[in-house]
Amino acid sequence: MQTIGRPPDTTLRPEEFWAVNDVSFKVAPGDIVAVVGANGSGKTTMMRIISGIYKPTMGSVIYPKPLKVTPIFALNVGLRNEFTGLENIKLKAAIFGMTEAELKRKLDFIIDFSELEYALETPVGNYSSGMRARLSYSVAIATEPDLFIIDEALAVGDSLFKTKCYEHLGEYVQEKERAVLYVTNRIRKVMALANRVLVMRGGKLIQDSHNAKAALEYYINDIVGDNMTDDLREMKLQKIRHFEM
Amino acid sequence: MWQFIGKIKSWWYLVRQLTLVEIVGMYKKSFLGMAWMFILPVLAVVIWVVLNGAGVVNPGETDIPYPAYVLLSTSIWGFFLEAYRSTSNVLTQNGRMLIMSEVPFEPLLMQKAVVHLINFIIPFVVNIIVLLAFGVRFSALALLFPISLLPLLLLGMAIGMVIAIFRIIMVDVANLTDEGMKLLMFLTPIVYTPKISSSWLEVIVAYNPLTYLIGFSRDLLTSGSFYMPGWYFVFSGLSLLLFILAFRFLLKSSTIVLERLINN
Repeated sequence: MQTIGRPPDTTLRPEEFWAVNDVSFKVAPGDIVAVVGANGSGKTTMMRIISGIYKPTMGSVIYPKPLKVTPIFALNVGLRNEFTGLENIKLKAAIFGMTEAELKRKLDFIIDFSELEYALETPVGNYSSGMRARLSYSVAIATEPDLFIIDEALAVGDSLFKTKCYEHLGEYVQEKERAVLYVTNRIRKVMALANRVLVMRGGKLIQDSHNAKAALEYYINDIVGDNMTDDLREMKLQKIRHFEM
Repeated sequence: MWQFIGKIKSWWYLVRQLTLVEIVGMYKKSFLGMAWMFILPVLAVVIWVVLNGAGVVNPGETDIPYPAYVLLSTSIWGFFLEAYRSTSNVLTQNGRMLIMSEVPFEPLLMQKAVVHLINFIIPFVVNIIVLLAFGVRFSALALLFPISLLPLLLLGMAIGMVIAIFRIIMVDVANLTDEGMKLLMFLTPIVYTPKISSSWLEVIVAYNPLTYLIGFSRDLLTSGSFYMPGWYFVFSGLSLLLFILAFRFLLKSSTIVLERLINN
C-alpha cells in the first residue's frame, strides 16, 4: 500500500495548512504498525485518508487488490442509548458494512468476544464505557478486515479486555494476509503489539522502523522531549528499555 | 444513478437498521407513541374546518367537501415538505457517522426516504377513511395515486440535498429556505382551489410546479381524472433531472462538507 507522495504545489489559503504532507510508505501482510506522534501531527487525518473517509488533496492510496478495510475512530459512533445491546450490535454491524447474513454467521463470535452475553437485553445507556468499547470493538473485528485501522479506540475498556485484544490482533495478522494500523501514544500499547512504528511530526513521516524500542526512544527524545522534564523523560525511556508484557 | 442504486444495494442492511432505529426511537419516549401518526393529521383537518366554518378562508369552489379537499391537499403537500425536511437534515443528523466511518451518503438518503414513506402511509390510510366518510368515491385510476407522488418525492429530496449542504456551510440559506417553504404552501393550491379570484395569486399559482404535481395526484384520487397532464409530465421530468443534478452536487461537495463537519 502506498500513500500520498507528491510535494505540495497547491497554494494554501491564509487559514490553511497541510495536515499530512509528502508521506509515503508501504504496509505488508503481517505488519502491526503503530503510528505515534504529538497532537496535530496528522495521524488521524492520515488514517482517515487510508480508510477512504477523506479524499486526499493530492496523492493516492493504492491497494494491490480490493481489500476489506475496517476503520474504528470512535467506538461510540452510531450507538443508541435507548436500544439494547443486541439491537446495537445489529446497528453497529450495519454501520461497518455487514449484511444480515454475515452478521448471522458472526453473531456468536461477537457475543463471545465481547463477553456481554449477560447484558444483551440491557439498554446501552446503562452500559459502562468499557462495555460499550467491548461491544463496538467486537463487531469491528468480526468484519474480518484485511486492513484493520484503529485510532485510539483501545484507549477505553478494562485492561483485561485490552490484553485480550492485543493477543487476538497478534494472532489475527498471522492467520491470513492481514495487517493492522493503529494510532497511539502509549508506550505500553506500542511495545505490547507493534512490529513496526511510524513516527509523525507536523504532517510528515519522520521515522519508519521495525525496531519499536528505537522508534519510541527517538519519539520521546526528539519530539515529546521538548515538553517534559528530564526526570519524566528518563522515566519514559526506562519504561521502554525495560518493558515486559 | 447506477452508482446510487449499487450503493443502496450493498448498504441495504444499514438502511433497514437505521429505519428501524428512527421509527421506533421516534415514539419510544412518547406516552401516546405511534398514536401521534393518527392524531396529527386529524388535528390539521380540524383547524382548517374551524377556519372555514368561521368564514376566515374563502377557498373557492371545490369538487369535493372542503374538509376532505384540505385533508387530501395538506397530506400531499406534507409528503413533499417532509421529503424536503428530512433530506435537508441528513448531513447534520449523521455528521459524526460520516466523518468517523465509511458510510456513504446514498444509504443515509435512502433511509430518509423510507422513513418518510412509512410516516406518510399510516396517516394516509386514516385520511382515506375520512375521505370515504365525506362521500368521496374512488375510481380504479386511484390505484395510480402512489406512483403519481414520485415526482414530489424526487423534487422534495432534490431541494433537500442542496439545502443539506448549505445547512453545513451557510446556514442562512437553509433557514431562509425553511421559511420559504411555509410561504410556498400558501402560494400553492392547498387550502384553496386553483380557480381563485385573486389575479396576482393566480399568476403565481399558474407558474408554480407544485400546482400541477399536487393537483394531478389529488384529482387522480378523488375524481379519477388527470389535472393538466402535459404540465404534470413536464415538471415530473424536471424533478427527476433536478434530483440527479442535486445528487451529483452533493457528491462533488463531499470534501468541503466533511471538512466543515469536522470543524463544527
